[in-house]
Amino acid sequence: MADTAAAGGAGGSGTRSGSKQSTNPADNYYLARRRTLQVVVSSLLTEAGFESAEKASVETLTEMLQSYISEIGRSAKSYCEHTARTQPTLSDIVVTLVEMGFNVDTLPAYAKRSQRMVITAPPVTNQPVTPKALTAGQNRPHPPHIPSHFPEFPDPHTYIKTPTYREPVSDYQVLREKAASQRRDVERALTRFMAKTGETQSLFKDDVSTFPLIAARPFTIPYLTALLPSELEMQQMEETDSSEQDEQTDTENLALHISTDDSGAEKENTSVLQQNPSLSGSRNGEENVIDNPYLRPVKKPKIRRKKSLS
Amino acid sequence: MNRKKGDKGFESPRPYKLTHQVVCINNINFQRKSVVGFVELTIFPTVANLNRIKLNSKQCRIYRVRINDLEAAFIYNDPTLEVCHSESKQRNLNYFSNAYAAAVSAVDPDAGNGELCIKVPSELWKHVDELKVLKIHINFSLDQPKGGLHFVVPSVEGSMAERGAHVFSCGYQNSTRFWFPCVDSYSELCTWKLEFTVDAAMVAVSNGDLVETVYTHDMRKKTFHYMLTIPTAASNISLAIGPFEILVDPYMHEVTHFCLPQLLPLLKHTTSYLHEVFEFYEEILTCRYPYSCFKTVFIDEAYVEVAAYASMSIFSTNLLHSAMIIDETPLTRRCLAQSLAQQFFGCFISRMSWSDEWVLKGISGYIYGLWMKKTFGVNEYRHWIKEELDKIVAYELKTGGVLLHPIFGGGKEKDNPASHLHFSIKHPHTLSWEYYTMFQCKAHLVMRLIENRISMEFMLQVFNKLLSLASTASSQKFQSHMWIQMLVSTSGFLKSISNVSGKDIQPLIKQWVDQSGVVKFYGSFAFNRKRNVLELEIKQDYTSPGTQKYVGPLKVTVQELDGSFNHTLQIEENSLKHDIPCHSKSRRNKKKKIPLMNGEEVDMDLSAMDADSPLLWIRIDPDMSVLRKVEFEQADFMWQYQLRYERDVVAQQESILALEKFPTPASRLALTDILEQEQCFYRVRMSACFCLAKIANSMVSTWTGPPAMKSLFTRMFCCKTCPNIVKTNNFISFQSYFLQKTMPVAMALLRDVHNLCPKEVLTFILDLIKYNDNRKNKFSDNYYRAEMIDALANSVTPAVSVNNEVRTLDNLNPDVRLILEEITRFLNMEKLLPSYRHTITVSCLRAIRVLQKNGHVPSDPALFKSYAEYGHFVDIRIAALEAVVDYTKVDRSYEELQWLLNMIQNDPVPYVRHKILNMLTKNPPFTKNMESPLCNEALVDQLWKLMNSGES
Repeated sequence: MADTAAAGGAGGSGTRSGSKQSTNPADNYYLARRRTLQVVVSSLLTEAGFESAEKASVETLTEMLQSYISEIGRSAKSYCEHTARTQPTLSDIVVTLVEMGFNVDTLPAYAKRSQRMVITAPPVTNQPVTPKALTAGQNRPHPPHIPSHFPEFPDPHTYIKTPTYREPVSDYQVLREKAASQRRDVERALTRFMAKTGETQSLFKDDVSTFPLIAARPFTIPYLTALLPSELEMQQMEETDSSEQDEQTDTENLALHISTDDSGAEKENTSVLQQNPSLSGSRNGEENVIDNPYLRPVKKPKIRRKKSLS
Repeated sequence: MNRKKGDKGFESPRPYKLTHQVVCINNINFQRKSVVGFVELTIFPTVANLNRIKLNSKQCRIYRVRINDLEAAFIYNDPTLEVCHSESKQRNLNYFSNAYAAAVSAVDPDAGNGELCIKVPSELWKHVDELKVLKIHINFSLDQPKGGLHFVVPSVEGSMAERGAHVFSCGYQNSTRFWFPCVDSYSELCTWKLEFTVDAAMVAVSNGDLVETVYTHDMRKKTFHYMLTIPTAASNISLAIGPFEILVDPYMHEVTHFCLPQLLPLLKHTTSYLHEVFEFYEEILTCRYPYSCFKTVFIDEAYVEVAAYASMSIFSTNLLHSAMIIDETPLTRRCLAQSLAQQFFGCFISRMSWSDEWVLKGISGYIYGLWMKKTFGVNEYRHWIKEELDKIVAYELKTGGVLLHPIFGGGKEKDNPASHLHFSIKHPHTLSWEYYTMFQCKAHLVMRLIENRISMEFMLQVFNKLLSLASTASSQKFQSHMWIQMLVSTSGFLKSISNVSGKDIQPLIKQWVDQSGVVKFYGSFAFNRKRNVLELEIKQDYTSPGTQKYVGPLKVTVQELDGSFNHTLQIEENSLKHDIPCHSKSRRNKKKKIPLMNGEEVDMDLSAMDADSPLLWIRIDPDMSVLRKVEFEQADFMWQYQLRYERDVVAQQESILALEKFPTPASRLALTDILEQEQCFYRVRMSACFCLAKIANSMVSTWTGPPAMKSLFTRMFCCKTCPNIVKTNNFISFQSYFLQKTMPVAMALLRDVHNLCPKEVLTFILDLIKYNDNRKNKFSDNYYRAEMIDALANSVTPAVSVNNEVRTLDNLNPDVRLILEEITRFLNMEKLLPSYRHTITVSCLRAIRVLQKNGHVPSDPALFKSYAEYGHFVDIRIAALEAVVDYTKVDRSYEELQWLLNMIQNDPVPYVRHKILNMLTKNPPFTKNMESPLCNEALVDQLWKLMNSGES
């Protein structure tokens, strides 16, 4: 994780570095790393037999190296997280390298090559101090059933609640008063708003604003709002056994819209024909099978003489 | 008054007998509101030289008539289209009424007439002479019908089924002729085959059994085939087509309910009770429901709330309700029960002639009453009977008698029993609507009187006999002469009563059925201490219109110290005084408990009563066994005792009414006690509220305590700790719910010495509204809130206006401002969160009109007119129209009257049209002898035209 962050940071600062010399300790840190990379590139170049190189090409190679290392870091992290770990292991790196088309077997030989140059360690600069996130209190230790490799608890302030309550107002009168006036205020504000934004009627010709009445609007189907008032819908928390209702609508759909499903109708037809002898609605209705002529499916027309359709 | 038709049986006025009719409607166009179809009548001539056949048909266009496949000539003439000829100069009600009666009887099927006259082709004369069968095939169409069939087509996007468009048959009495040619009489029975081809997404509901449903060849439509094998009159045939949701009754699978889309949950709840009504009727009549299936259809823009037809009933969709609605539930159940009672008597059993109508209406109303007694209890039943009795008495005394069994002997035109009315009572179509309502009311009350005479057991036996005869007859196929058993006649009914009970009820029938009018008693009494006798004086008024003389027994109940005693007095020609011996010596044992009528013994505080008399109270005709109005005088303390201790709700109600005249602290106390008594019938307590308000107003100058009922309400419904806050709503106990609703309304009627509503009361009501909290209630509080608005309206008193200044906002009374604020808020909230049936809007509109009328707000009909437009819920429209009618009267506005008349002519909903006319007659813009700018010739012309051309 640290790699990528560093690489990303390095990349970011690298682009900036030309423009101004920063004095920020973090920037210093990144600059030092980059400088080391440049040294590495240069020494590799020397190793390869170059005597001099243009600055631009060195920069380009540095960029490439940096990208390569970043990619190794990123991939290795992915592999390690894939196996539910937080720390990459050697095998993660190996797999990564293989994945990137690198022949791992050549690596030990290359590391032991004779003409390699030893680079001085980068100057010790302090790790950039990540500004400490605000911590409050101590993180809670894991409870015994959680293995220690799991992430730590976040800061307590993110989950601990400290109820702060005043002495609850228990006076009935005050409560009722409050509830009543609150509701009234809401209602008044809402109706006034609706009245302001829509058409209104007024009881006084000279004054339209004091008692604005929302204008009467005829409905296309007036009985629906009257019989299924939204007021009751809100109040209606229980009611209507949904499963039962579904059943009902199903059968009804069957009766009404059976036209959409011809094969189904056919099937139904035959089953009804079988029931037919036992019909002639008497009160001994057997369980489950409700024989009602309105629930029976619609028959398909018989081939017969021309119907008088005018 | 001998019944000539008598036992000889029924003689058909027609020279043929109808046995079977096919109705086939194969095209229904919702867009153009038109119907195309044909009918085929199978008839048997009963006379040899039948060459003309008269049938009924109105507004149908007839294309072609064939008899036994031979083309037949026909003439179509409907005289009711123009009742009085346009050239005639005479214009008065009498003339119109006569002309109208003549026109109706010219097409009356019971007189063998009809609009459509078909000539039998000469080729068939020989066939006819052999009395062989004729098949009359008539092709017809119907375009934009004005009656009979009602189309409801909402103007939204989508196919007709998606829009919820539907059509249904409707009409008053026998008006099936409006939608297909038939013999539109209740006495011509036949079997039916009904076929309706409708859009595949729609359902056609009609009478009888649905035999099958078949697609048309293009699969876009389907045909519903119905078969009605029980002989039925054309007038009982009905139809409803629409994209209905279907619900099979979970208790009775042969019962199917239909409602418009989206209302299924409501339908489920509303009809969940119906099976109990079925069980009740089947049990008391010991007779199975006569049809093999039953259908209920709930439709919009209904003509009437309930219409019963053979094996199906059509209801207004507005009767549907959910489990959260309290007030609508009993009303809807009553409608269901009423329609079911009419299935037995009215649909299955039909009538011979119009003059036998009272038997059907009487029986169905009577068994409906029995159902009510069982369901809602004896108190409710007695209260209802009393209510109905008061209604009929008030109507007859005001308008004149209601005659149940009109007999039209020839030559006696002079003593026409209905000379006091503007219309003829010979035909159902010439009656006024109100008269017919009263007619039904009287019919069931008379049935109850018959029951009193012969006992309920015999009564039910008679019904059972009628039904079983009819069902035997109905199963006889093709023996159409037997079907006459399915028609009930007055004489047949009376005969079966005398057969079953062995009692002679002729005097009763003569008094109430063959004669119109009610009895008016005036009673007063004196106690003769020496003889220990109660001297009762009962006078009658039988000279005023709508009254008649009563001779016969009359029950009087006297509550004395020693108990309650019944006495039966004989009311004779001119005897006024009746001596009734008293059983108890006055005040012997002070400490003794006093036995009541029902055997209960109670302690009473007797200090209020007259020390010399043992009489506590006296009741005349306590069982309401005479159709009468009693005005009885007794002392105030007697009324108070009657209110407190008499257990009969009718007696309590009477005493509340009487106590209005005695504004004393004692009356006040008695009323308050009743209000508090939990066991007392809630309706009595409700009327006690209003009486208390009246008494308190008369006593206002001497009363110093808090306003009447306030402390009572606080004790019953407010929180213990903070008495100005009402408890959160909990309407589990319906009795206290109704009381809680009513008390504020009555309180708002209180007035102080300045004749203003006391500030205290107004604040109290405003607080009730403010603290109203329904969140924890399992019922809706919309009716409650509506009544609170009514209470606000009741508190309004006329504005003090200085020389008629214009009403502006600035000089608005601060109290009114508060009221107006509430109304505004409620009305606006309704737009966002509507309440069930918009009860709150209705109350708000009424309240606004009250404010206008009292001069607080400028009088202006514009608001009401916008609410009265088509497209609002019908209750809102009616409330708004009421306000416009009232405005027309108060402000004498010609413009508004025109607007109303225009609506009467053009509104798509017949119920609304009828209602406007009804309201205009109840609250007329001007009266006969009043000068009014509205009364001018143009108006006369307009009204005349309206009357003259309208369909019945």
